[in-house]
Formats: sequence, structure tokens, C-alpha cells
Amino acid sequence: MGCASSLPGRSSGRLTGLNNAENSGVPDAKNLRVKLVLLGDSGVGKSCIVLRFVRGQFDPTSKVTVGASFLSQTIALQDSTTVKFEIWDTAGQERYAALAPLYYRGAGVAVIVYDITSPESFTKAQYWVKELQKHGSPDIVMALVGNKADLHENREVPVQDGIDYAEKNGMFFIETSAKTADNINQLFEEIAKRLPRPSSS
Amino acid sequence: METTHPLPFDSFLDKMRNPASLDLVRSIKSFIVSFSFNVGNPENDGKRIQDFFLTTEAAIRDHPLWAGSTDEEIDNALEGLEKYVMTKLNSRTFASSAQDVKMDREISEKICLLQTFLRPEHLDIPVVLQNEALWLLAEKELKKINAFKAPREKLLCIMNCCRVINNLLLNASISEDHVPGGADDFLPVLIYVTIKANPPQLHSNLKFIQLYRRQSKLISEAAYYHTNLVSAKSFIVELNAKSLSIEETEFEESMQAARLVNRVPQITSPTIDKISTFGKQTDPGPSTEMHKRKTNINDHHIAILGSAGSNYPYMEAEAGELTVGDVERLLGLYKDVVTKYNSLCNTVRHLSISKTTVSPASEGTNDLLRGHNGTSRDTDCKGE
Repeated sequence: MGCASSLPGRSSGRLTGLNNAENSGVPDAKNLRVKLVLLGDSGVGKSCIVLRFVRGQFDPTSKVTVGASFLSQTIALQDSTTVKFEIWDTAGQERYAALAPLYYRGAGVAVIVYDITSPESFTKAQYWVKELQKHGSPDIVMALVGNKADLHENREVPVQDGIDYAEKNGMFFIETSAKTADNINQLFEEIAKRLPRPSSS
Repeated sequence: METTHPLPFDSFLDKMRNPASLDLVRSIKSFIVSFSFNVGNPENDGKRIQDFFLTTEAAIRDHPLWAGSTDEEIDNALEGLEKYVMTKLNSRTFASSAQDVKMDREISEKICLLQTFLRPEHLDIPVVLQNEALWLLAEKELKKINAFKAPREKLLCIMNCCRVINNLLLNASISEDHVPGGADDFLPVLIYVTIKANPPQLHSNLKFIQLYRRQSKLISEAAYYHTNLVSAKSFIVELNAKSLSIEETEFEESMQAARLVNRVPQITSPTIDKISTFGKQTDPGPSTEMHKRKTNINDHHIAILGSAGSNYPYMEAEAGELTVGDVERLLGLYKDVVTKYNSLCNTVRHLSISKTTVSPASEGTNDLLRGHNGTSRDTDCKGE
């Protein structure tokens, strides 16, 4: 279960990268900064996906802030733009559900995670999609993520269900494994590609 | 990145004392004066001050005194500006509405009740994250929040508290092999720490930071941790039996008991004095002799109970010896005992819950900055 590898050992010596988007607060067309909120039942591996994403990048110019529930990571795209993801994790336990609007307010991206071995978590994911459609910002980029794809023997949510639901709701869909790192980078790269560019808007 | 070391505020003040900055100083002072004399609503106040920060920022960037300055130097000046303005306008902008004061008091009182029975298990905090020492450290950081007047410094207290919690989570995942739970772990611990700390004027502090921290600085990690404390606050405000892993009846009973314990000492404290004087004036009844006999047996006991014994002349009395006239005194003594018992419980509870004290304002303050404040509005558990 969970994140099956060592912890990020990056708290030192890696903080010297370019940080033009950090202090100015004004992202330009080439250097985007985006707030990404993670939603999903507790235990689906939200934070493991992020940890895997953050420690899986070995670009020495990227600036990594290692924290437990807030992480940021910059990726470079092929068109030479960079995207800095500021990842806001949310507590997935039911008792905190009413607090979610505080976190997704102003988010450019919402990543909704479920566990492919848990139909309940898939139901919960659908609840979040509906909630964001109702109360989120209208141009938010949404991604539906079926995590723990390595546990295919225990799969209870068919891939097709995820694909169908995402398609119906105009979302990007992907299955990932934080454990094997499968599709983790692809998830964030796909999101980055879908972001509205300031220059074109 | 936010840094934790204090910014060179003095260098900002030095620049402001330079005759070349007279135009800036005038504009800042006239803003402060005009703002102080205007009664506005907080949202509007926030916008006015943020706008002023922005126009002054432009003025500083174009100012000969800052010609050739680095971004960092400009930023230091802007932090100095925020601190100066918000310290001057503190009494006008911080917890300034009756509604905010009421909200602060209600939250603090609810936390007091929760403190009497809330355990980590009620929030399903895993045992590996139950680290009293680090929790205490996180509480201390949060309680410092009123030691500062500038939004940046108040925000830093929140950030420091959250960093301690993050370290705890990181340690647990390294040494205890605890699967990193991210916010699933973080938020419950923050809520628990907030309840244990009962930070002064929680609502007003959060609102103050939201409105008056320079907008370009309340982003990213700082915004995330601020949001988490806002989130902890609203969880506490809305908290009922369903919010916790607890039986509804147990929750209601615990809250009720806490209300009694928190209230009784206030109402009856004058009675204690009255009764003890009354007790001393009373002629020793038949019980005193028996009392003496008993104390002879155990001298050690007198040392502890001596003074209390004289206040409770009925200790050794038999039911048959009592008359109707004794009822009033008995009732008074009964109330006295209950009051003392409750105070004792209260004290013991406080000893175990809040082992820390709020550290005094440790800020190097400058005469230029002395606002007319200093009134402590902290609501503590008993006081009002």
C-alpha cells in the first residue's frame, strides 16, 4: 500500500534554481504558475502521486519545496514554456468535505483521484466532479485519475467506467500508479498542455 | 520564498528619516491620518490599504533613494511599509468590529469546552503522529500570533506552526514507516493543535492577514497554510458530534460538563470569600473537638487540611445534631466545596492541556512605530 519508496531527500542544496515566477507573482506567457488542487477520498494515494511527481523530476533547475501537504514543482514543456504547479492537497476524510471550497477557490486545475480497487472512492470522485461543476471556477481544468493501477488483480472499477465518465464530463482521464511511477509524469504533462495560455486569452 | 529571519526594518526607517524621502513620508502619514478618521467596512478597508501599498510600491520603485536597488531591497522596503502602516493602523483594523470580537470570543469559548475532553482519537489521528513534544512546539508558535502587529509576522507564526507539523509528518514517514498521508494527516493534526493552543483572537488574526498582508505575498505556500488554519477555524466553528469519532450522547454530556466546569468558578468566586470569613467567625461547634482529636492522630494531615478543616465545621457532625438553622450554612459550605473542587479540576486540566504560556511581545519596536494599542484582548478560558 501507499508510496513504496524512500522519501525526498531534496530539502537541501536544490533551492538555487531560477525562480522568476516565485516573487513577482505575475506569470508571463512563457512561465506559467498554476494552483492545482487535489481531491479524493482519503487513502486513494493523492499525496503519493504528488510525492512521486516531485521526486521523479531530476531537472536540476527545477525548484522543489518539500512539504507534506503543499508541494510545488516546475516542469518544462517542449515548446520551451515552463509550468510551475503549486499543489494543494486536501484532506479526504468525509468530516472535512465541507471545507473543500476553501481550497479549490481560485484553482486553475483540479485533479480528482480515486482508487481502482475501491468503487466507493470512484463514487466519491464523481461527487467532487459535480461539486466542482457547480461551485468551481468555470474554466478550471479537471483531470480524473484512477490510481493504484498496479493492483490490477484487485481492480473493481473498470477502465472503461473511468474513460466514459471523464468523457461525459469533458475531463482528461488517466490511470496511474504512484508505486511504479506509471503515468505520473504523463498526468502532469497532459495537464500542462491543457492550461489556457495568458497570451491567447 | 518567505524567510524566517527578521527583515531589516531599521534600514527602512533609516531611509524614511532621510530628507530625500520626505515626499514618501508625507504621503504615508497623510494616508494613515485620513484612514484613521474614516469609518469604513473591513472589506473596503482592505482594498484601500492594498491600493495604497501598490501606489507606494510604484513610488518607491521610481524613487531616487532606491535607484539601482535590487528586487530584494525593494521588497524589504515594501515589507517595512506594510509593517509601519499596519502597526500604526492596528487598533483601527484589527478586531475592530463588534462582530469580530464576538466571533473571537465564541470560538475561544468553544475551544475551551472542547479542550476538556477532546482526544486525538476523536479526530482519528494515528498513534505515530501523536507526538506531544512537537505538538507543544507547534502550539507555541501559534500562540505567538498576538505578539506581533504586522500581517507578515502574524502569518509567519502560522507558517512556523505548520512547519513543525510537517516535520512531524516527515519524521513519522521516515522513522515509523508511516505512509505519507499529506493533507489527510496534516489537517487533523493542525485542528488538534489549534484546539490545544486556543490561539488568541483566531478569527480576527486570520481575517487581518487575509485583508492586509500584501496581496503579492499571500500566495503559494503561505496562502496554503493560511487557508488550512481558516479551514481548521471553520471546522471548529461548525463542530458537532458528527464531526468527531464520538458517540453523540458522550459529546453532548462532555460539552455540558465542560460548560459547568468553566462557568461555576466565575459565578461563585465571591461566595468563597464570604463563606470563609463566615466560617472563621462561627463559634466552634461540637464537631471541632472531634476534628482536633483526629488531627492529633495525623499531624501531617493538619498541615495540608488545617485551614480547610476550620471552614467545614460539620465534618464530624451526626445527622441528629443538626437543626433547621444549620441548613443555610450547610448549603453555603456545600457550594464552597463544589466550587473549590471545580476550580481544582479546572486547574489540573489546564496544567495538562496548556503547559505553555504565550511569550510576550518580543518585537524590537521603534518609537516611530508606537501605535496606541497594547490593550490585550486575549480571551482566556475563564476570563471575560
